[in-house]
Amino acid sequence: MAYDPKLIRNFSIVAHIDHGKSTLADQLLLQSGAITQREFREQMLDDMDLERERGITIKARAVSIHYTLDNKTYELNLIDTPGHVDFHYEVSRSLAACEGAILLVDATQGVQAQTVANAYLAIGSDLAIVPALNKIDVQTARPDEIREEIQATLGIDPAEVLSVSGKTGQGVPELFRALIERIPPPKGKSDAPLRALIFDSKFDDYQGVVTYIRVVDGSIRVGQKIRLMAQGSEHEVTALGRFRPREVACDDLGMGEVGYVVANIKKLSDVKIGDTITDAAKPATEPLPGYAEPAQVVFCGLFPASHNQFEDLRTALQKLSLNDSSFTYEPETSDALGFGFRCGFLGMLHMEIVQQRLERESNLSLVQTAPNVTYEIVTVKGETLHISNPTRIPDPGFIEEFREPIAKVDFILPAESIGAIMQLCEDRRGTYLKTEYITPTRAILSYELPLAEMIYDLYDKLKSMTRGYGTMDYELLGYRVGDLCRLDILVAGSKVDALSVVVHRAQADRRGRKLVKKLRQEIDRHQFEVAIQAAIGSRVIARETISALRKNVTAKCYGGDITRKRKLLEKQKEGKKRMKQVGNVEISQDAFLSILDSGEE
Amino acid sequence: MPVVVAHADDGRRIDSQSQNSRNPFYRGRRLITIITSDDVKLGDHPKHVYIHIPFCYHKCGYCDFASLAGVDHLADRYLTALDREISTSVERRSVSTIFVGGGTPTRLSAIQLERLLDVIRRAFDLASGGEFTVEANPGTLDREKVEVLAAGGVNRISLGAQSFQKSSLKVLERDHEPDEVIRAVEWIAPRFPRWSIDLIFGVPGSTLSMWTDDLDRTLALGPSHLSCYGLVYEKGTPLWKSRREGLVSELNEDLERAMYETTIDRLAEAGLEMYEISNYARQGHESLHNLAYWANASYYGFGVGAARYVNGVRSVNTRDIMAYLNRIEAGGDATGPSETLDAESRARETAVLMLRRIKLGIDRAEFALRTGFDLDRLVGSKFEKHRRNRLVDDDGLRVRLTREGIFLADTVLADIV
Ligand SMILES: Nc1nc2c(ncn2[C@@H]2O[C@H](COP(=O)(O)OP(=O)(O)OP(=O)(O)O)[C@@H](O)[C@H]2O)c(=O)[nH]1
Ligand code: SF4
Ligand SMILES: [Mg+2]
Repeated sequence: MAYDPKLIRNFSIVAHIDHGKSTLADQLLLQSGAITQREFREQMLDDMDLERERGITIKARAVSIHYTLDNKTYELNLIDTPGHVDFHYEVSRSLAACEGAILLVDATQGVQAQTVANAYLAIGSDLAIVPALNKIDVQTARPDEIREEIQATLGIDPAEVLSVSGKTGQGVPELFRALIERIPPPKGKSDAPLRALIFDSKFDDYQGVVTYIRVVDGSIRVGQKIRLMAQGSEHEVTALGRFRPREVACDDLGMGEVGYVVANIKKLSDVKIGDTITDAAKPATEPLPGYAEPAQVVFCGLFPASHNQFEDLRTALQKLSLNDSSFTYEPETSDALGFGFRCGFLGMLHMEIVQQRLERESNLSLVQTAPNVTYEIVTVKGETLHISNPTRIPDPGFIEEFREPIAKVDFILPAESIGAIMQLCEDRRGTYLKTEYITPTRAILSYELPLAEMIYDLYDKLKSMTRGYGTMDYELLGYRVGDLCRLDILVAGSKVDALSVVVHRAQADRRGRKLVKKLRQEIDRHQFEVAIQAAIGSRVIARETISALRKNVTAKCYGGDITRKRKLLEKQKEGKKRMKQVGNVEISQDAFLSILDSGEE
Repeated sequence: MPVVVAHADDGRRIDSQSQNSRNPFYRGRRLITIITSDDVKLGDHPKHVYIHIPFCYHKCGYCDFASLAGVDHLADRYLTALDREISTSVERRSVSTIFVGGGTPTRLSAIQLERLLDVIRRAFDLASGGEFTVEANPGTLDREKVEVLAAGGVNRISLGAQSFQKSSLKVLERDHEPDEVIRAVEWIAPRFPRWSIDLIFGVPGSTLSMWTDDLDRTLALGPSHLSCYGLVYEKGTPLWKSRREGLVSELNEDLERAMYETTIDRLAEAGLEMYEISNYARQGHESLHNLAYWANASYYGFGVGAARYVNGVRSVNTRDIMAYLNRIEAGGDATGPSETLDAESRARETAVLMLRRIKLGIDRAEFALRTGFDLDRLVGSKFEKHRRNRLVDDDGLRVRLTREGIFLADTVLADIV
């Protein structure tokens, strides 16, 4: 039976990273009786291996719970979202399936960059915001000060801000009441033709594609013929269910509800995240607005370590993109690395996570090239090209204008770090915009920075220079002309396309020298001398030589301890796993990535 | 079924059930081959025995063997435990090689040595033509011990000289004087048909001429077998720590290679041909026990830290002498970590071991017989690459390291392991 829409509340939990969203979700599950104390484990909803290993949420996770207030039992559909800036898109997708959001702020840390970014996102989507301070059990909590910060940055009345602890459960009953009272019930039409938003999906070897939906209008039931509006494909619903948090089957899902749909969908390309499911016999006329495509900011090549796994990699990418629609991939051929894909990501962490998921979930071993941003090039013929692979950048003679992406970066940081961060931004070709004070000791510093200068390691630098108290958020502004050029690397006389990088001309010589030095350490010695050169066009600007390997043999007495000898060799072999043969030189994964961090020092 | 075929120098075959005359590999060659029928199948009784004696006068700076100084008072107790370990795990049977290593077996007193040999003799019957080796260290040997060994059935001595350079012996923290080696050889040579000397090259501070001098002085003693090991800085040893603290430094690679090349050439001139990465012998004087290791044959191992390979299971006894004694005395066994490889890993391991054999290399027929795998299907593409780079040679029957391949052996081995 479909649930009475008046008793349904749909909301997301949003916050800066580590402010305790998943821990609070645990409490909501526990106090509503969805799980027992015995079933409980910390950050229950973070059930991906990578999430547990890293202690962060990577994917938004939906759960339906029941809560009884004043003798009425409500169905609460909550979505725990990730806080890291790279997964911002997950937050915006989640919010589109909700009428409200808990905005959580760590009572010891205060307002941080993603607090502001996510709050604006929720406010911008017209959601009811339920602000709450978390971690009030901690000694160093500063609730009053932080209420002020929230008011100063977001204009939220301090009286509206609740106090909770995800650890102890303190304040959670009050939070339940506020959620029910302040968030409106879903306002779709129960009797209209079915429209359900696909906000997520996964691939299951037995069931095919499983879609996660929020019913916006009408209802969906087992046996119903449905249509996916973007591709027009039709399927019959074989199973439906809710997340409690385990998948629990049911016969139908009514207006406002959240759950999963199995409909024997075998073709991965039929499903698009953000698409609308409608009734095949009585289709809706208009699909739901869906999602704006996220803008990928970093790109890299992914190549199978063994060349016969190209098709496996393609399948792996397809499967993963069902579960993470925010990265892009297109086939690419490299002279050095063979067949692979150029992939786009929402940030460095996103890139790392996608690579690890591909390897683990599809049992592949990948070689990754150094990440880069997209460039806009106007050729002498007047064409405008967008290029996300440095190898494809034309030779200088063909380039009229070389443009790079620029971002507006907002840092929220302790006032005493402003000077240091300004210096950092100046070094990275930044343009100062403004400083605003949230409180006398905390400020928002805004800069315009070339994306390439901020994307790789600026966050780490910020963290270390502010001892963890600084955070940042950014948005893309567009392209701007820069004095840029492509720097090529030649190994043993031939250009290795996968090692090309784009650099600012003023830094080209220094970068070139650093790069070849670095590569000299990263490339293993061979039976012959290997020359490494850096060049701009045909001009060589730096050179190093790797001497020949003369002796690599352990002439030791191991007696009968053969296992030990074998283990030593296996270790050597392990290091060779992600090697690519370029001409007659073997280049390791580390070497391909090493060209990234030679920018400074 | 072919069996152990060992051509002694005088042409006498140690065992000759089958000389496969159609196989050109055997025809007209004076090579040692270990094509065994005795333990080629998993589950066959091993024909080789290793016994470990952990006692040393002093712990050498580079040593990471299961050896101990200052616990000689445990020797009798140890021999009792060893006796118990052996007699409870195997029935008396015939074997083709026995190797007593250490530590320093000759650190035992003459009486204890006698007892040890008695324990061994009671448990194992050495097949005719079999090899019975005991390791000896110059500083610990005397005429009486030599007599005990010879009388006890030992027919091969491996003498740990390591160096004749006072400076190198000091860096290695060896406790003997160069002259003691010469005296030891005077006792050993007349009493044993075969004996070998161990040397170490690449010692910090040594030069090529010092190493050449070592080789010359060793050759002057007339050994029929030499083991020349390259110094390895094993983690945790005093030598490793000294290097880390900058007190000693590794020789440069070119010098180490020159020492290695000189070894191969000098010894070959003297009639001692390289037959394994670190072993050289006059024809017919190769160590049968070690050849069994490199054929990936199975073997027993007894004593603290001893490795064994029985029924396809590799295991190593605990390296802790007190744990060893307590466990054996309590009626248990002393086995520590063990592993059982799947068939493919075992085949790869066999390839790795066999490739260490310079003259024999990996014989395709022998390999297939022992592992059940086709060599080319298993690692053919790897060999193809190394053949192009001239690190291995392939005559269709056998794959062997080339001379250059010897110096880069680990590069090749790491590819096939
Ligand atoms: N003392 C205390 N610690 C808390 C509380 N809530 C969360 N934590 C701790 O804060 C850390 C981060 O908690 P998470 O729930 O993983 O934070 P999150 O917001 O889900 O993090 P992301 O999903 O990665 O953005 C964990 O170590 C929690 O144990 C709280 O109320 N009190
Ligand atoms: S004599 Fe041999 S076993 Fe004993 S400490 Fe020296 S190197 Fe180690
Ligand atoms: Mg979380």
